[in-house]
Amino acid sequence: MPRRRPSPAWTVGLAALALWAMLGKAGAETLLRTRLNADIRSTDPGTNRDANTDGVIAHVVEGLVAFRDDTSIGPMLAESWTVSNEGKTYTFRLRHGVKFHNGATMTADDVVWSLKRWLDPATQWRCLSEFSATGIARIEKIEAPDPHTVAITLDQPTALFLPTLARPDCGQTAIIHRDSLGPDGKWIAPVGTGPFKLGEWKRGQYVDVIRFDGYASRSEPRTGYTGAKDVKVDRVRFNVIPDSSAAKAGLLSGSLDVIMSLSIPDLEELKSRPEVQLSITPALGLTGILFQTKDPLLKDVRIRRAIALSIDTAQIVDAVMMGTARPNNSALPLGGPFYSEAQSHGYTQNIAEAKKLLLEAGYRGQPIKMITNKRYSYVFDSSVLVQAMAQTVGINIELDVMDWAAQLDRYNRGDYQSMAFTYSARLDPSLSFEMLTGPKATQPRKVWDNPEAQEMLRQSMMIDDAAKRQALFDEMHKRFIADVPMIVLFNGAELTALRKGIKGYAGWLYPQPRFWGVTVE
Amino acid sequence: MLGYLARRLAMTIPTLLLVAVGVFALVRLIPGDPVQVMLGDAADPAQAAQLRAQLGLDQPIPVQFMHWIAKLATGDFGHSITNNLEVLPLILDRFQVSAVIVLVAVAAAACIAVPAGLVAAWKQNSLLDLSVVGGATLLLSIPSFWLGLLLLLLFGLKLKWLPVIGYVPFAENFWQAATFIVLPIATLTMVEIGVLTRMARAASIEVLRLEYVTHARAKGVPEWRVLARHVLPNAFAPTWTLIGLVLGHLLGGIAVIETVFTLPGLGRLLVDSIFARDYPVVQGCLLFTAVIYVVVNLIVDLCYPLFDPRVTVA
Repeated sequence: MPRRRPSPAWTVGLAALALWAMLGKAGAETLLRTRLNADIRSTDPGTNRDANTDGVIAHVVEGLVAFRDDTSIGPMLAESWTVSNEGKTYTFRLRHGVKFHNGATMTADDVVWSLKRWLDPATQWRCLSEFSATGIARIEKIEAPDPHTVAITLDQPTALFLPTLARPDCGQTAIIHRDSLGPDGKWIAPVGTGPFKLGEWKRGQYVDVIRFDGYASRSEPRTGYTGAKDVKVDRVRFNVIPDSSAAKAGLLSGSLDVIMSLSIPDLEELKSRPEVQLSITPALGLTGILFQTKDPLLKDVRIRRAIALSIDTAQIVDAVMMGTARPNNSALPLGGPFYSEAQSHGYTQNIAEAKKLLLEAGYRGQPIKMITNKRYSYVFDSSVLVQAMAQTVGINIELDVMDWAAQLDRYNRGDYQSMAFTYSARLDPSLSFEMLTGPKATQPRKVWDNPEAQEMLRQSMMIDDAAKRQALFDEMHKRFIADVPMIVLFNGAELTALRKGIKGYAGWLYPQPRFWGVTVE
Repeated sequence: MLGYLARRLAMTIPTLLLVAVGVFALVRLIPGDPVQVMLGDAADPAQAAQLRAQLGLDQPIPVQFMHWIAKLATGDFGHSITNNLEVLPLILDRFQVSAVIVLVAVAAAACIAVPAGLVAAWKQNSLLDLSVVGGATLLLSIPSFWLGLLLLLLFGLKLKWLPVIGYVPFAENFWQAATFIVLPIATLTMVEIGVLTRMARAASIEVLRLEYVTHARAKGVPEWRVLARHVLPNAFAPTWTLIGLVLGHLLGGIAVIETVFTLPGLGRLLVDSIFARDYPVVQGCLLFTAVIYVVVNLIVDLCYPLFDPRVTVA
């Protein structure tokens, strides 16, 4: 029987297959897969946004300045800046050769156009109110004296101008190209200067960012949202996975590379897995016990102080955070640029003194209601430990467990005796105090109503001199500890789990990922 | 038949409207609102007011209600406040997960419970009957979450046969998906076996006492044939009604089981949305559940003549 020769169709088919395999190998892209717990809201920076949106968009756009690892402000698209006119005019020198994703080179004209777009009420920019009459300062003028210089004039000096420009929730006041908008002025997609371009966004499923080959990186080391942004992967996919257990399973099964914001129980579980590595970084949040200083019983500072002296903060933090966080009684976050020696002086457990104070105040075991919640296990655990420790000096705390939304409602109305609470990150020390300090009459949610502290806070927002601000924060801290409007316990930690093959990832004080400088093996 | 169907469907409209009003009112009675949850501790009053206006939450409640109903009439359930997803696709997506588990579990439970109930009734007061009744009562008394946790401990942690947490959609990987839903289905099946066995037994006992059974036996019809031809079809009708009720109830979400097994089902969507005060999703879930209840019961009623020739659809 004659042997059959392969038909031409077979030969061509095999050749095509071989070619496809070779091309496939040559074009194999490196993909990093991470998780969002909900879809992003839009791609327009700092407008229709939430934390997930900010986190993705920060890979695509950049502003004139940005936060460094320690939350101080560093230059980003600006090369440098000078402040003149009694602190009212900021003159930014722009970096040369910065390219937008469409290939155009950034000039002062683009900066002016972008800033004016943010300041247009029609844009609905989140931080517009900060630059209005009721905000930190009003922007009076934006000029471009030459193609590499932009001057912004404010109506009054403020220390918060640069931090506000850099705020991630303000979209870092991104400098974008006009092509981001259609001819009708409607938003299309960000044409930014970031190390990644926006890729496909499949609503409810994923959003991709793709390496921008024309990126002009800064030369100093990576820090916060500035410094070198050397992208080592072709694409990052942010998968929308609402369920944290499903995300954990995804990481263990290898279908995800990075998951952020783990809970303490998750951390304990993942610790023992050989395929997983963990990144634990201090965070900027603030967990503590708030007191209603208008309450008939708790208006007596001696009782509040007795509670503070009855507890051992270090022991609570150790038990609650499993060694991932350190105790801190100050309103300023540990690791921040203004956290000095003064801030390290807090409350030291002193049972005898606590008992003496209670006796003086005439406290006879009246119940003190403390609202807490189980949404944040560390808040609930803290409240249980505070209750137990206060019990040793005869303070009768009754826990009232609520769901988070109901607790927030009570918090916003100031309708509580005491509550275990957690605040989100504030990136400037003035803002850290601002979230606690204010007149209760007009802002019931504020926990510390001390007119002198409010005046010091106002000054800290105006002065740009770091030493003078430091002195104000130190003085405020002393009074904060003396007044005991709340007991700050700790700042928490950002817990991230990564597959073993992921290298170069580093968390920082702000709880958002950065996928530049990261490799996938 | 068609006339009956039309009448039944028309009758559901006032029911659903009542549900809609109730759901809307109840959801807004809970303290806290979605804007506070979204802004958290950073809820600057001006900003919160702006967001409320953006979401239409600053309107008077009756206006909000009319707005919602008007959109519902066009099939638009609105968008989730938390993640901006369309509510109806979100519900349908989550419903798939719950529906697979509930349908398989109830079918399996019925397949076991009906014969078991029949046999127990046939051998009434025997040791067999006693053990079936005892077993059913035991299963009925075990809380589902506890049973689920026990199964998880045994098959997930001790024997390591099945995954402990997570979920993979069927579309992604069929076999992997199956491993994730075996335990929830087993848990639910066991719990439902208890209810259905007792019902099947009670109904069978009644039928066994009837004259046509005695007549059939007197004619010399073999016992298995008496049970299969005469007892089972007549005893099944009441059990069928119960199956309908159970299905309607469970399809509305098996939040506890979904939580134990970390499944993204309808029940958990509802619970999570309540925590987030995501009004459109909560309202959508509850209304959807009501519709499912009505539809399942309608199907059960329409199937009735198949089992009981005395019932006709007119």
